[in-house]
Amino acid sequence: MWKYEKKLQYPVNIRKKDLKMAKYILTQYGGPAGELAAAFQYLDQRYNMPDERGRALLTDIGTEELAHVEMISAMLYQLMKGASVEELKAAGLGENYATFGRSLFPSDSFGNPFNMAYIKVSGDYIADIESNMGAEQRARATYEHLMDLTNDPDVLGPLSFLREREIIHYQRFKELRDYYLKQKEKN
Amino acid sequence: MNNFSNMNYFMPGGANDFSYLNEMQNVNNWETSKENNKMMVNPNQNLNFNKCNFNGKTTPNELFDVYNGYIRGNMFPNLYNQYKINRPYDIEPLNKQAEMLTQLNAYGFAAHDINLYLDTHPNDKPMINLYNQYIDETNKLVRAYEKEFGPLNVSGNMTSPWSWNNDPWPWENN
Repeated sequence: MWKYEKKLQYPVNIRKKDLKMAKYILTQYGGPAGELAAAFQYLDQRYNMPDERGRALLTDIGTEELAHVEMISAMLYQLMKGASVEELKAAGLGENYATFGRSLFPSDSFGNPFNMAYIKVSGDYIADIESNMGAEQRARATYEHLMDLTNDPDVLGPLSFLREREIIHYQRFKELRDYYLKQKEKN
Repeated sequence: MNNFSNMNYFMPGGANDFSYLNEMQNVNNWETSKENNKMMVNPNQNLNFNKCNFNGKTTPNELFDVYNGYIRGNMFPNLYNQYKINRPYDIEPLNKQAEMLTQLNAYGFAAHDINLYLDTHPNDKPMINLYNQYIDETNKLVRAYEKEFGPLNVSGNMTSPWSWNNDPWPWENN
């Protein structure tokens, strides 16, 4: 089970409204390399791991991704806070406003709703872990692109933190993959 | 979160100086930790995470201290690699609540990052000891915070009036 802790993993305190940036960051909420996709993918894959090592790592990283969903949501919320309808329209968020008002809705930056088909599960645990390595690399690249799109330190701080987590997760998945490959060679 | 000022941005120092790593012992002193961030950081050279033979094995005294690991989002200097910014942002809490929250978050983060390491290095006793040290400290800090500012999660006995629904919620910034 999960238990909520009333804090973010890393503080988000954005003082300057930036609707364009909010639109770009949306992709890390409900896009193909987003945090929501990562969380579901890892938690879902747990049931096909061969031993406790994989089950533990997928549980722990999947859980951390849920905390990242919350960080990204907080960033979106703060970047859009107090925006007028005119401002939303000018930033290309008019369509978003028409359907969702001022609510957050998980989509990519183009407005395509989050899609469970983003989730990679294959029944082959090596293939699954390797797809997770790829997912971490793509998310890292996305964070780099997002960092290219802003110079606001309030936004760069959390983006940089999240990018660093992708590096760690990639390494741990790689260690798990290498361990399983060695186990296979032994048998 | 409310109560935080901006994360200060410092201009880069020299680019290839790794000497700071030698000084990165596991200092559990919060204030000393903050001073350590004035050390140089190599922004782009450390690409262990893309090296095929890097097995991740790390000893406790190679890790960043708690504060420096937290502001980087990474406790492992041998995996640390930066993009765009030339040094990590300091977190500057504006009041006691934010300071205590930062501190317990940092210790909790250190324990968590070591937890992931231990998932793939389950026999690493020194790291298990360090995990225990950090999680003990985290729990102490959580208790101290909750005593003063109310619960971080719903557990055990609660005071009246029901304090769980008190502000601030984590995503609010003012």
